[in-house]
Amino acid sequence: MTNCESIRELIGSWLDGELNSAESDSVRAHVAGCPACGELRRQLEKLHLALKDDLTAEATRLEFMPFWRAVQQRITQKRAWHEDLRDWCRDFFTAPRIAWSVPVAIALVLALVSLEAYVPGWRSGGARNNFAAVDSIDAYGHSVALLRENESRTTVIWLYQDQEGENEAAEDTKTSGPAF
Amino acid sequence: MKLLKTRRRLVLLFSLLLVSWAGWGGAAEKNPQSVQVTIRSILAANKSDEFDAKLKGMEQQLKSLKYRSYHSLKDETKTVAWQGSQSFEIPGGRTLTVAPQDFQNNRIALKVHLTENDKPIVDTTVKIPNRGNFILGGPPHDGGVLVLSISASAP
Repeated sequence: MTNCESIRELIGSWLDGELNSAESDSVRAHVAGCPACGELRRQLEKLHLALKDDLTAEATRLEFMPFWRAVQQRITQKRAWHEDLRDWCRDFFTAPRIAWSVPVAIALVLALVSLEAYVPGWRSGGARNNFAAVDSIDAYGHSVALLRENESRTTVIWLYQDQEGENEAAEDTKTSGPAF
Repeated sequence: MKLLKTRRRLVLLFSLLLVSWAGWGGAAEKNPQSVQVTIRSILAANKSDEFDAKLKGMEQQLKSLKYRSYHSLKDETKTVAWQGSQSFEIPGGRTLTVAPQDFQNNRIALKVHLTENDKPIVDTTVKIPNRGNFILGGPPHDGGVLVLSISASAP
């Protein structure tokens, strides 16, 4: 069974023709069978008619010429840019738009954060920060160099062989010269 | 009024979707099951000016080492479980053992141990960006030096 309270909320919209056909049918059927809601409908219709009569009577007494002159004057007059901007802002920043801006801002922040995971280096224009952080190095007595190569943003750990070491290839590194 | 209610519901739904997305993203970073480790063994020398075409993607990194020639010796990729370890055979009787330790702020902490004929050469713990690499070089090899590119990628 249709709830009287929910129907009463819709009667005004129904009389104004704001409901879709399914809702209109539902309200019409309920109002036809429910004396209390039918009474509310009659009262609202009376109110509409009374308002309409009053406004029509008042309209005949109104002098419209000054009104139209003022409208024409506003159309033809040049407006300052800040007035245009103020009107544009008033139209643009409506309540629903402001409400939407919050989740949209969150979405943008999340997208920026996620993008780094999927497209590494996009923030630095492809030159990704590839630097590593070296927590510890133990080279077991060998000389070791830790370098950060700025151009390719790469961390290099370089082991220098002891010149007197037992490895027969030590001579080769001597001839190959310093690596950096 | 009705339109406003519908919009309010849409905004609420959209916000819930965003929260789920953020939660899912965070969970994805916190719980990767394993990490893919790739070891690239390269011979750097000064005998010629040859640059191996296979190393094209690393050209900028390698050129900073100031050797004249670079030749790719071996590429090996293994999937390693977190807190587990994998050994990679490196030219010259060397073994590189890699153990992923941690994954935080999109950085992978790797414990790396290089040995030569069972003799330890270097032990290091390095945090690299996910899908990034670092270079470990210097051991002499075949008239030049061995350069190892150690990269890791967590899904």
